[in-house]
Amino acid sequence: MAAPDQPPEKNEEARSAWLFNLPLVLLTAAFILIPVGGTLVTSLFRDVTYLPDAFVGLQNYLRLAADLHFWQSMRFTLLFVAVSVTLELIFGLVFALLLNEAMPGRGLLRVIVLVPWIIPIAVSARIWELIYNYEFGLFNFLLQHLDLTQQPVNWLGSSAGAFAAIVISDVWKTTPFMTIILLAGFSTIPQDLYRQAMVDGTHFLQRFIHVTLPLIRPVIVVALLFRTIDAVRIFDLIYVLTGGGPGGATTSLSLYSFQYYVSGDFGYGSCISLIVFLIAGLLAVSYIRLGKFSEVLR
Amino acid sequence: MNETRLQWILKALAALVLPAFCLLPFGWMLLVCFSRQPDFLLPQVDFAPTLQNLVDVLTDPSLHLMAYLRNSLLVSAVSAAAATFFAGLSAYSVTRLRFPGRILIPLGVLAFSMFPQISIVGYLFKLMASLDWINHHAALILPYTTLGLPLALWIMISHFAQIPVDLDKAALVDGASRLQILFRIIFPLAAPGALSTVLLVFIYSFNEFLFALMLTTDYTARTIPVGIAMFEGLHGQLPWGHVMAIAVVAILPVLLIAAVFQRRIIQGLVQGAVKG
Repeated sequence: MAAPDQPPEKNEEARSAWLFNLPLVLLTAAFILIPVGGTLVTSLFRDVTYLPDAFVGLQNYLRLAADLHFWQSMRFTLLFVAVSVTLELIFGLVFALLLNEAMPGRGLLRVIVLVPWIIPIAVSARIWELIYNYEFGLFNFLLQHLDLTQQPVNWLGSSAGAFAAIVISDVWKTTPFMTIILLAGFSTIPQDLYRQAMVDGTHFLQRFIHVTLPLIRPVIVVALLFRTIDAVRIFDLIYVLTGGGPGGATTSLSLYSFQYYVSGDFGYGSCISLIVFLIAGLLAVSYIRLGKFSEVLR
Repeated sequence: MNETRLQWILKALAALVLPAFCLLPFGWMLLVCFSRQPDFLLPQVDFAPTLQNLVDVLTDPSLHLMAYLRNSLLVSAVSAAAATFFAGLSAYSVTRLRFPGRILIPLGVLAFSMFPQISIVGYLFKLMASLDWINHHAALILPYTTLGLPLALWIMISHFAQIPVDLDKAALVDGASRLQILFRIIFPLAAPGALSTVLLVFIYSFNEFLFALMLTTDYTARTIPVGIAMFEGLHGQLPWGHVMAIAVVAILPVLLIAAVFQRRIIQGLVQGAVKG
C-alpha cells in the first residue's frame, strides 16, 4: 500500500527487494521454519508408527522429566560441551599465536591446519575408531611402548575411555576453525600497540594478557558461540565412533532423539530434539549478552 | 634476548607439534590403506606395502563407492551453486535497496543457522516421505541449499558492500534493470567472494551426515559420509584396509579443493564468522 508521502521509487525498491528475497524466504520457511514448527506440534502428540496419532498435550515432556536415560544424555552432552569447547579455545589460541609469528613455511602450516576441518566427520571418525582399537590401535601401541600405561586402554569399551576418545577427536576436528577465526582477530590488532608495549618493557605473556586478549574478546566470543552451538548438537562423530555406547554412556541428546525417530516414535523424539533447541538458544543468548556486541557496534 | 630465544623455541614447537597434531589421523589412514595388514603394529605382523586395498574398493561393484561419491559430488555442487545464487539475490537487496526487513533478513538467517539439525530432520523426514522424495537427490539438495544460505548470505554481503553503489546508479540511469546490474556488474566484481561461498557451501554439504542418514536408503542417493559409516564388510571382521581405502577416496575431492583454494576458504570462513 503506497503511503502518499513516500516517493514512488521507494515503493519500487521495496517491491523488488521482496522479489530478490523470495527464494531465500521460501527455502528458509519450507526447510527450517515449517519443520521446526512441525516438530513443536509433533512433540504434543503420541506419534508412533502403527498407532493412530493422538493429542497428548505435555505428556511427552512429563515422560522426559522422569526418563533417567534422558538425564544421563543431558549430563553427557553438557559435560562434553564444557570440556571440548574449553580445550578447543586453549588449543585454538596457542595455534593462532604460533601461526601469527612470521616464520618460513607459515603458508604451508596454514594449509595443514585446514586438514582436520576439511575431512568429513564420518570419515575421520572411522580413522579414529581404528586409532583407538584395543588390540592394534596406534594409541595403545604408543602408550605401551612409551611405558605410559601397563595395560592397553579400553578406549571405546569403557565410559571414561569413550568420553576421552570423543573429546580428543572433536578437539582435533574443530581446533582449526577456532585457530582460523582467532588468527583473523589477531591480524586486526594494530602493530603499534605491540611496539608501544615492548617499549614499556613488558614480556610476551604480559602483552598477550593485557593487549591481545582484551582486543580480540569479541572475536573469541563469536568463535565460542559458533563452537558451543555446534557442540551442543553433536551427532555424527558419536554415531560413527561409539554409537552412543558403551551402555548409553556417550549418547548425546541429538543421538537420543534420533534413536526415537528411527524406532518410529516421532512424538517423543521431537520432544527431545526441542530440548537441544532450547539449550542452544539459551547458550546463544548468553553469549550475545557476554559479547556486548551493541557496544562494539557503537 | 631472552625474548627472542623464547620466540625461537615457540616457532620450532609450532613447526613440529602443529603438523603432527593435524596430520596424525590422516597419515595413519594412508599407512593402513597401503598396508596388506591393518594390524601391522602387532609383533610378527608385517607391514607389506600394497595397492590392493584401493584397487579392491574401486573395483568391487557391490560396495557402490563410485555411486556414493557421485551422489556426494552432485548434491554438494548443486547445493553450493544454488545457495550462492540465491544468497547473491538477497545480498544485492540488502546492500542496495531500502526496504523494511533489510536488517531482519541477515539477522534472521543467522539465528536460523543456529537451529539444531535434529529438531528439523524428524519432521523433514515425514515431509519428504509424504512427497515420496526419500532416497532422491532433491531430498538432500533442497535442505543443503537452505542450510548453506546463512553462511553464503553473510559472505556475499561482505563482498557486495565493498562495491560502490555509484556503479549501480550509473547503470540504472543508462536504463539497465536491477537483475542486469546484479548479473553484469555486481556478480562479476564479486567473483572471488562468490567462489569462497561456493567452496564453503560445497565443503559443508559434502560433510553433512544426519540428513543424508535419515533421508536416503541406499546407493541411489546416499552420500559418501553415510556410505563409509555404514560400511561393515562382508565377513564379520571389519576389513580396516578397505575402510581406510574408502576414506582416502572420500577425502580426495575436498582435499584437492583445500589445496588449490586455501586462501579463498580461509577468507570465506573468516567473513562468515567474524564479520557476521
